[in-house]
Amino acid sequence: MTAIEVAGLSMSFRAPVRKPGLRAAFGSLVRREYREVQALDDISFAIAPGEVVGFIGPNGAGKTTTMKILSGILHPTGGDVRVLESVPWQRRAGFLKRIAFVRGSQPVGGSQELTVMDSLEYQRLLYDVPRADFGDTLKVLEELLRLTPLLERQLRALSLGERMRVGLALALIYRPEVLFLDEPTIGLDVTAAGQIREFAADYVSQTGATVLLTSHYMADVASLCPRLILIDRGRVEYDGPLAELSARLSPYKLVRITARGGPAPDVGEVVESSEGMWVLRVPRDEVAQTTARLLQSLEVVDLAVEEPPLEKVIDRAYREGLR
Amino acid sequence: MRTFVLLGFRIRQEVLEWSGAWWFLATLVVQAVIGPLIGLFVWSAVYPDDPTIARYYVAIILVTLMTESFEQHTFSERIYDGTISHELLRPQPVVIGVLGANLAIRAWLTFLGAPVVLLTGLSLGTGFDWRSVLVSLPAVVLAAALVFLLTFLLSMTAFWTQRVHAVVGFGHSLIFLFGGTAAPVGFLPDLWRQVAELSPFYAMSGLPAELAAYGGSVWSALALQLFWLVVLLAAVGLLWRAGVRRYTAVGS
Repeated sequence: MTAIEVAGLSMSFRAPVRKPGLRAAFGSLVRREYREVQALDDISFAIAPGEVVGFIGPNGAGKTTTMKILSGILHPTGGDVRVLESVPWQRRAGFLKRIAFVRGSQPVGGSQELTVMDSLEYQRLLYDVPRADFGDTLKVLEELLRLTPLLERQLRALSLGERMRVGLALALIYRPEVLFLDEPTIGLDVTAAGQIREFAADYVSQTGATVLLTSHYMADVASLCPRLILIDRGRVEYDGPLAELSARLSPYKLVRITARGGPAPDVGEVVESSEGMWVLRVPRDEVAQTTARLLQSLEVVDLAVEEPPLEKVIDRAYREGLR
Repeated sequence: MRTFVLLGFRIRQEVLEWSGAWWFLATLVVQAVIGPLIGLFVWSAVYPDDPTIARYYVAIILVTLMTESFEQHTFSERIYDGTISHELLRPQPVVIGVLGANLAIRAWLTFLGAPVVLLTGLSLGTGFDWRSVLVSLPAVVLAAALVFLLTFLLSMTAFWTQRVHAVVGFGHSLIFLFGGTAAPVGFLPDLWRQVAELSPFYAMSGLPAELAAYGGSVWSALALQLFWLVVLLAAVGLLWRAGVRRYTAVGS
């Protein structure tokens, strides 16, 4: 029994192209040329009910396209997909009532003049949620998402973090069995992002929902997803435990140092530098030793040890080879 | 039943949404009445002794306000910015949202435009036979459905082109020209009149206004409107399927 089953999924688009210049522009009026863009190329994976899976990859890797296909917005050009044993792009009402797709870039759709409570009430009608269940779920969501002060506010007047909390409440008020979260913490400050992560973890443990999450923030993935699927250029490059992937992809840390005067530090690889500031790429097991050397040899104003950004780690992994 | 409940809720939502933009709705009222008013002034000058001209144009103003459609804004923009995806993932037909917005805006336009109609009618000493007005009501309802279907149909070209406003603008120009606003259809040259009287544009505007202003055969009017209703419904259904197929193949 699987909640999501994807076999040989492919998606290609025909994008119009033309050479620069007036002549080519006039030529394209008569004869248009297209280039085939392969967004997804033979993707296969399966997700069991209750599993929480991180779906990561660089921009343009095909994450959102996959999410859109799995939720029913897009129709693929090839392959077989079943979500809760339904073909998503048929968008049957029974299927749509069992899934939710929350996008960090557009967490709340519909009328923006309405209050949060009006919008929740509309969801109740739309998804045929019995009043008793609606009341119970709302109580839980109010507590988990600190929703009470927002209920009488209009959607248009909410901050980004509040919109995300409300977007989640609107999506979860009908208790979907499968949740697609596309960049749920994008643009949020550290506190708001942490609260969303905490909520998602609580929700999953309470309801046993199946979750597929995309995010560029390693913190999201690390705190929620025991399993990762990593894609690039429309292909699955890794599917397995997060711990194993982290060890393979992040053998380095970044040491950001600001120092008065002095020459550039001669430890580690300098990946970024400006006046009096350097970012060094240092193997994890040499961080302490390198930091000590820097403190001894330079007049240090500031020093920070950082995880490399996920995108850069992935990019490096692809350039140097993941397999 | 569930569909009507959802539609009712959606209309309520949209009425609330638009209540915050009454000043914008007032500009829409001005835009809606300006064409019929020009027609009224021109044809009243040409036929100063004909009192039915004023009656006809007052009816046209009211019909225009009650049948205005803006799907190129309320629907097409959602295709352009991708928020139509939210609607596609809801367990209800997308048209419920479009229709809800349409009816809410029309209700506001009729409410805000009623003083204009009253003032115009009173200032010109226009009188109506209320039996004709009552008899014309089904034709007004069908005209509203026809204008909605035509505008929705043209707005769906947003699935293929970024120039939806030009496409819809062209359609509305045809309603203005052949619908009886630029000139009462009876004033058109013979061949044009015959074409206009059979066109869907006349059924959308001039026909219900003439019924209200002059009376006439209701059944033949309704038959013409129902014919175009079936044609436009079929066209909307076909284009919707093709449009969604394209959207779900390409995305936003």
